[in-house]
Amino acid sequence: MVIRKGISLRYKILFMLTMLPLVMLGIYLFVALNVFKTDKLAYVYESSTAVAKTLSSQASTDLASLLNSAKPIMQEFVLRRNFAQVSEGILDTDGPIQWLAVYSLENEQTGEFKQIGTTEKDGTSAVNDLASMPNLQSILASTTAKPRQVSVPFKDDRILLVEKVPGTNGDKTLVFLILARVPELASGFHGSSGTENFLLTEEGKVLFGPSGSVDTMLPDRLGTEFFNKLNRQKFSWGAESIRSPAGENLLAGYSIAGFGGTAVLSLVPQSDALKAVKVLVIRSLLFVMVLISATVIVSLFASGNLTSAISDLFRATQSVAEGNFDVHVDVTSQDEIGSLADSFNAMAGEVARLMGETAEKARMESELKTARTVQETLFPPENAEIGRTKISGFYEPASECGGDWWNYCSVDDKIWFWIGDATGHGAAAALITSAAKSASTIIERLNIEPKAAMALMNRSIYGVSHGNVMMTFFLGCYDRTSKKFTYSNASHEGPYLIKKSSKPPKKKDLIPLNDVNGPRLGQNKEMEYEQITIDLEAGDRILFYTDGIPDIQNPDLEAWGEREFVKGILIANSNYPEVDVAVKNLATLFSTFRNGAPLKDDITFFMFQILGDA
Amino acid sequence: MGKFEIKIEKAGAAFTVQVIGVIDEDVDFNSYSLAGATSLELNLEAVKSINSCGIREWIKWIGTAGTAQVTYLLCPKIIVDQINMVQGFLPANGKVKSFFVPYYCDESGEEKNILFTHGKEYTDSTVTPPAAVKDDSGNEMEMDVVEAKYFKFIKK
Repeated sequence: MVIRKGISLRYKILFMLTMLPLVMLGIYLFVALNVFKTDKLAYVYESSTAVAKTLSSQASTDLASLLNSAKPIMQEFVLRRNFAQVSEGILDTDGPIQWLAVYSLENEQTGEFKQIGTTEKDGTSAVNDLASMPNLQSILASTTAKPRQVSVPFKDDRILLVEKVPGTNGDKTLVFLILARVPELASGFHGSSGTENFLLTEEGKVLFGPSGSVDTMLPDRLGTEFFNKLNRQKFSWGAESIRSPAGENLLAGYSIAGFGGTAVLSLVPQSDALKAVKVLVIRSLLFVMVLISATVIVSLFASGNLTSAISDLFRATQSVAEGNFDVHVDVTSQDEIGSLADSFNAMAGEVARLMGETAEKARMESELKTARTVQETLFPPENAEIGRTKISGFYEPASECGGDWWNYCSVDDKIWFWIGDATGHGAAAALITSAAKSASTIIERLNIEPKAAMALMNRSIYGVSHGNVMMTFFLGCYDRTSKKFTYSNASHEGPYLIKKSSKPPKKKDLIPLNDVNGPRLGQNKEMEYEQITIDLEAGDRILFYTDGIPDIQNPDLEAWGEREFVKGILIANSNYPEVDVAVKNLATLFSTFRNGAPLKDDITFFMFQILGDA
Repeated sequence: MGKFEIKIEKAGAAFTVQVIGVIDEDVDFNSYSLAGATSLELNLEAVKSINSCGIREWIKWIGTAGTAQVTYLLCPKIIVDQINMVQGFLPANGKVKSFFVPYYCDESGEEKNILFTHGKEYTDSTVTPPAAVKDDSGNEMEMDVVEAKYFKFIKK
């Protein structure tokens, strides 16, 4: 048997049981994580926007409040051209304003500004602060385009409001610089975990923001595209996804404060926003690994159980293929494999039984062939010529061994004829014929009459069969000197005597030799038989036969029948040929009808002829 | 099985038996007791066939009737053949009340079974067949047996 070297069924099952949940979990994770990620991003956008809106609202309120606080001082200066009581009153309080400075636009063409006044809270120095402001002139110059500005010149919690007041009635344009301390507002932008909040100018400069970001240009970090888009769309608030030039992905929520072009931007790195997704992915992967490990262990166990049963079956089939049918597969599972094992065991048992029967049958057939060979020795030569007599016979058993027997022998000037038919056919009947042959071998030498010989035959058969198998029998003795034929019958078919005539024989010319009859041989232990003697003459012939001939069937199971048998006898002897020819004629007739069909009973017949004419 | 059946009607010690089917080695006659019968009439018309083993069993069974007067009637050819050939198939005190004789017409191929009844077509020693038996076409039919053999039981 060829053993294929492919991947083991166990590993295939293991692979299938592992891959199936793995693929399904993978698909589920992919879909679930996408949904979760989208949901998370939406949440971050919403929360960033909310933070931006809150902070911008606060900034707008605080800056407007500052300006409103400074307005009485500014109005006082516009009216009086100096700072007086109002200014002192406001700055003496604990308000956020540190100082105010005012510049007049001396020459609109050249943009030349001239400081014309300052007022300050105690402990502060507007002059010093202004002196330390490197970009003071550019701030003043930019008021031409932006009359209200906000900046954080000292990178701390102080904010500088720049308010331009156009001159009226010939007065020069004034620019007020208001420095105020706004720690609450500034601390609102110091940031919380993972989120960066910025208060920006219109150009993107950071006014307040996380440590280190103040006064930096956010477009340098985030790129200009986002800010251009922001300025183009003019939306008051919104959210965007930003990819910085450095490759950083950020989620941005923004809100326009509406004071001096300021805006609030809330930034969350996408990696931080999706940190939960990462955690979920890691946990899911851990869960998947645990699940797959469990699946592998369970699959190993399950596939092991399954494949071990199949392996048992495979080994059993190998054993059967090698001719050992005495195998039994022990599979206790109550499933299809268990049923298959039961079927295999039943099949192997049945095959073993059939093999045993076949072997026994072969043995018996061999013995029957031997028995047939032995039985063939019980029969005489088919053709014989004894003095002026001729004998010819035909015998064919229905099975290996037959229950018919015929014989002839010449003792002195007498010729004995024996023909019998045991009950049934086959081995038991064949054994009886053997007993009959043995008995006849002795009896024919005893020089006794046929009726006495028949009685001895009966004892012999009864002694062998004890009434279980019987035998019809006809025994005749021809005296060649006196031409007398003496016969005795034990319920056998009476032979036909045919006397030679100038015309072909007819049915009425068949003379049955049935004037005496007795019980079958073996029916009772002690039986007496009668005999009768008739005179024969040259040309006479006698047909001895058993009852198997009329029972011959053709392939259509039609019997030849007694009518055709009688016709056959008449045709075979129509011109009174010598008996060997007549026997062949008759055999040809029924063989033609039989056409190869199996025999129902043994066929035995023979003819005896006294040569010469009457 | 189911191919053989015996129906027994008892009127006192007078048994009327109808035998139907195939008589062979499978038939168990022990189921049909003939004990107590003084008169036994067997209708054998429906017997289909009998083999040598069936003959053995039949002779044993008929023997259980003891001294009862046995009568066979409506015997088909297969039964008559056994009566002629096998001694004991018809008990020594048995009689055949009627039997069938097959006729055949070579010309038309027609077959007929003519019933011969004791006292009509035959006696205890003689046979007087019908003068002529004709087929449906009026052709004369001939007896389809070897007469010397078939009527042997009558001339015992």
